[in-house]
Amino acid sequence: MGLAAAENKRKLGTDPNNTRWSRNTDTFGQKLLRAQGWEPGQYLGAKDAPHAEWHTKANTTHIQVTLKDDNLGLGAKRNSGNECTGLDAFQLLLGRLNGKAEDVLEAEKKAIEEVKIGRYLASKIGTIRFVKGGWLVGDQLTETPVEETEKPVETAATETSTSSDEEAPEPVSKKSRKRKAEDTTREDNEKPSKKDKKSKRRKTNEAGSDDEEVSSKHKKKKPRKHRTESEENESQREKEATSASEEEVDAAALDPKKARKERREKKAREKQEKQEKKEKKERRRREKASSGSGPETGGSKREKKRREDKDSTSTSEDLTKASPPVESGASTPIGSGYSTPVLGSARFLSRQRFIAQKRMAFADTVALNQIFMIKS
Amino acid sequence: MNYNASAGPELEPSSFPTQTQRVIPVMADKGIKRSSMDTDGSSDPKRAKTDPKYNKYLAHYDDNQAQNDFSSPLDQLERHKTTTQQATKCEDSDLNPWTGQPHSQQYFNILQTRRNLPVCQQRKEFLEMYHSTQILVFVGETGSGKTTQIPQYVLYDELPHQTGKLIACTQPRRVAAMSVAQRVANELDVELGQEVGYSIRFENKTGPKTMLKYMTDGQLLRESMHDHEMSRYSTIILDEAHERTLATDILMALLKQIAERRKDLKIIVMSATLDAQKFQTYFFDAPLLAVPGRTHPVEIFYTPEPERDYVEAAVRTVLQIHATEPEGDILLFLTGEEEIEDACRRINLEVDDMVRESDAGPMRVYPLYGTLPPAQQQRIFDKAPEPLRKGGRPGRKCIVATNIAETSLTIDGIVYVVDPGFSKQKIYNPRSRVESLLVSPISKASAQQRAGRAGRTRPGKCFRLYTEKAFKKELIEQTYPEILRSNLANTVLELKKLGVEDLVHFDLMDPPAPETMMRALEELNYLACLDDDGELTELGSRASEFPLDPALAVMLISSPEFYCSNEILSITSLLSVPSIWVRPNNARKRADEMKQQFAHPDGDHLTLLNAYHAFKGAEQSGADAKQWCHEHFLSPRHLMSADNVRAQLKRIMETHDIELISTPFQDKNYYTNIRRALLAGFFMQVAMRESSNSKVYKTVKDDQLVMIHPSTVITSPYDWVMYNEFVLTTKQYVRTVTNIRPEWLLEIAPVYYDLEAFDKGEIKSALTRITEKIRRRQAMKGGA
Repeated sequence: MGLAAAENKRKLGTDPNNTRWSRNTDTFGQKLLRAQGWEPGQYLGAKDAPHAEWHTKANTTHIQVTLKDDNLGLGAKRNSGNECTGLDAFQLLLGRLNGKAEDVLEAEKKAIEEVKIGRYLASKIGTIRFVKGGWLVGDQLTETPVEETEKPVETAATETSTSSDEEAPEPVSKKSRKRKAEDTTREDNEKPSKKDKKSKRRKTNEAGSDDEEVSSKHKKKKPRKHRTESEENESQREKEATSASEEEVDAAALDPKKARKERREKKAREKQEKQEKKEKKERRRREKASSGSGPETGGSKREKKRREDKDSTSTSEDLTKASPPVESGASTPIGSGYSTPVLGSARFLSRQRFIAQKRMAFADTVALNQIFMIKS
Repeated sequence: MNYNASAGPELEPSSFPTQTQRVIPVMADKGIKRSSMDTDGSSDPKRAKTDPKYNKYLAHYDDNQAQNDFSSPLDQLERHKTTTQQATKCEDSDLNPWTGQPHSQQYFNILQTRRNLPVCQQRKEFLEMYHSTQILVFVGETGSGKTTQIPQYVLYDELPHQTGKLIACTQPRRVAAMSVAQRVANELDVELGQEVGYSIRFENKTGPKTMLKYMTDGQLLRESMHDHEMSRYSTIILDEAHERTLATDILMALLKQIAERRKDLKIIVMSATLDAQKFQTYFFDAPLLAVPGRTHPVEIFYTPEPERDYVEAAVRTVLQIHATEPEGDILLFLTGEEEIEDACRRINLEVDDMVRESDAGPMRVYPLYGTLPPAQQQRIFDKAPEPLRKGGRPGRKCIVATNIAETSLTIDGIVYVVDPGFSKQKIYNPRSRVESLLVSPISKASAQQRAGRAGRTRPGKCFRLYTEKAFKKELIEQTYPEILRSNLANTVLELKKLGVEDLVHFDLMDPPAPETMMRALEELNYLACLDDDGELTELGSRASEFPLDPALAVMLISSPEFYCSNEILSITSLLSVPSIWVRPNNARKRADEMKQQFAHPDGDHLTLLNAYHAFKGAEQSGADAKQWCHEHFLSPRHLMSADNVRAQLKRIMETHDIELISTPFQDKNYYTNIRRALLAGFFMQVAMRESSNSKVYKTVKDDQLVMIHPSTVITSPYDWVMYNEFVLTTKQYVRTVTNIRPEWLLEIAPVYYDLEAFDKGEIKSALTRITEKIRRRQAMKGGA
């Protein structure tokens, strides 16, 4: 706590715990208890009770709690955020001296950097991210729900695998993020060297994360439905190379056939008003498909197939997802795919989406031509 | 099936954020004495003890052998040898086997749903186990139907019309007892109060025909004070035992003893799964029967890092859910009234923005806490709002609640739960003698309970605003039972009355801390409820008849000595209900001005009394009481319940021949007498000013530094004050304070204020000075 911190002065008596009373062996209560056979240090209650194995400290002394007068969340420390800096570098040095492998050190360094970025973001925008923590079935915590509960898993899994990247909780300061996203997209189109692509892709993955936010899910899905078989094969090959989710986000950006992409975008824009309906329908369809009860249309069949593909890759995806270093002390990896979408504030979100749409329109010559009614 | 809810949310002690537990909320009766208030006029207390005819607890001896005058399929059944088929046949018959009347159509409809309950699948298993054992631990998740069905299964096996003995089923909450009894009466197609009844504090809806009785755990405890063997009952079912209320804990210990003496008494302990093993071990390794509930899986999410501000995080999470998750209502747990109202405001603002600027669906936000008027509490059951336009995004509701929504209320449609991991919990510190509601982390069991709320209607999600590590490391396994968190003065008095001699070895499931027990004994000794050998005195025995804290009871019993028992009775009632003062955020100043109208310069107790008298005056003059209260910023609801409590207490006073008198109002000692009478019960809650002009007071004997709570009306406090409660916030406050004179202390409580017993210090020297002064004055008088 720095000098500037709010002063919280409180006058304490000479004996705030009243140990004088507790040490006094002459009190009526103590005398009476002793007369009935109690010795200091013993539990009250039946002698040799079989249930005594459950007794805790609370049975020997009153429950002690710390007075909470702030809104600090559970597990948060008051001084987090302004602790000593530079210690991490020192730690790395010590690690090197102790003969740690380079790659381990590298990983550590990366982790530290991510913590820093994460903290910066948290203080700047303060989004709430979540990591999955299993299922509560009845009142037992399980990793996966059982039997009848399988349905929801499936939907959840597919949902997350399709949406995880958009929701990837790796927010970068919002404005720059958008710009960056565009830049990388352009770059990608210009020089689609494969290696580069991969690394960039991760960046776009992060950066483009909340460009589309809510609507993105269906916006992206829709165009994909129009794909031909060959394309699908192609995408599958791609999937094998990278993780399924990454591919998804970049699908638009990476597609070499620019024209088609434009057309798709146009369509997407045109159907903007209908999106909500679509989204609803799609969700319903997905639910139906997963439960396997509803009649399957051709589209949903294909979708299902795709999902199956994804499921097959999902294990590897999980692995790759889990491997990147984790935020600070958190015991679970972030971005495990189950997090809720990132969102600064509601207003921010809608505005952002609006801007993103505009920007897209301006970047798209076909769309511009249509807007200005120029025949090309 | 949420009868808890449909009966209207009622209050619970644990949910009064501003009230410490020293007062008894009328509507609630967890952990307080209740009883004997429902004595009906016919039973004469003097004869009651000797003649079973006049003892209402033994009244069933008279007509128990009366056989039904109609032939019933039940006649062929043999007690404790029935089978599921036989019972099913009886249930399916056209005539009601209990009343002889034809079954209604509604009965068969309900029967259908009853047969679908998970617990019904295990009826056979249950009966076999029930036949073979005296004590049975039954575990069933919420929604299994155990509360309504198990007592009925027992009913068809015990055949109470043959033995004349009742089946009791206890509930921790009054509302639950009432609503479940109503439900079961419908299920059995009988009238509530006849074959099926309920008994709660202030209300006894049972009759001579009653076979199955739902009651609060405290009510059963009160009954056992007069009937140590619980001889009225053939079976006692302790429901919701996992909640571990004070009364349930003591009942369990008592039943454990009684079970040894009465081998014919059957006991069923019903609990949630979590600590079933503990119950089994406690009850001589009783057999266990488990029934799965009907809940959907809930997906749990944690934050990757601790949150810096849990309220902020909670608000954001709610908005995030609203923006991105499919249809379904949200339940957010926060700690107290202020926090909840604040969060509601913020969510509302943000949602308005969201709706305006994007196509988000509408969201309605409802607060829910104990002190909220019932009408507003009821609103949480409203349907979620419709989409703003046809085909638009669905609307939803968001309920921001205290832990009242954790167990006591079932709200359908909740799919998302947001859990910051805190709640307000009662804590008692025997060293400083402070009982307070403090914000502290919940337990793992509590967290699971909260998460489970999301899976009532369909698979849901629970967002925990803490890390998985915090969940594992920082949360305790189980919430501490109430017995470890309360002042036990009242409990010890009850135990003494129940004939428990050896308090040290009383076999409680969770024995309290020795210091807590010592403090309770000490307090009772100073109040003269226990003599120096620890035996119950005459005063103690009388005090235990009042459903009040011992200090309040003693004050009430000794009030005639000060010629003001009427007034003390009113004050006691007012202190037993939630605060009657209303102070809305938008009209604080006005409310304070209004309160000033009733203010008495010498104390808050007297101010309470003035307000009550004004209220009664307004009522008598024919004014619209509600309107009058509204104008004067008083809570009509709490004033009415104070009125109700007063009537009940008055009846008890009359049965114990405690005189009801008043000093004439014109007498200059009118208020002084009252202040002195207050001290008769509260002489242990006195503080002395540290130094003149200082705002800090020091409590007598415990030496805690306190300040007078800003809500007081006293403008010029004396050097000595007495207080009703000790409040722990960032500072230590005493609330509801009255000026007193130190001379009174020496006169009224000479044992407690025995100078020998004091340690050296300011308080001792002050008291010595006063003793000197009194002596000199008396000497002068003697000399004159």
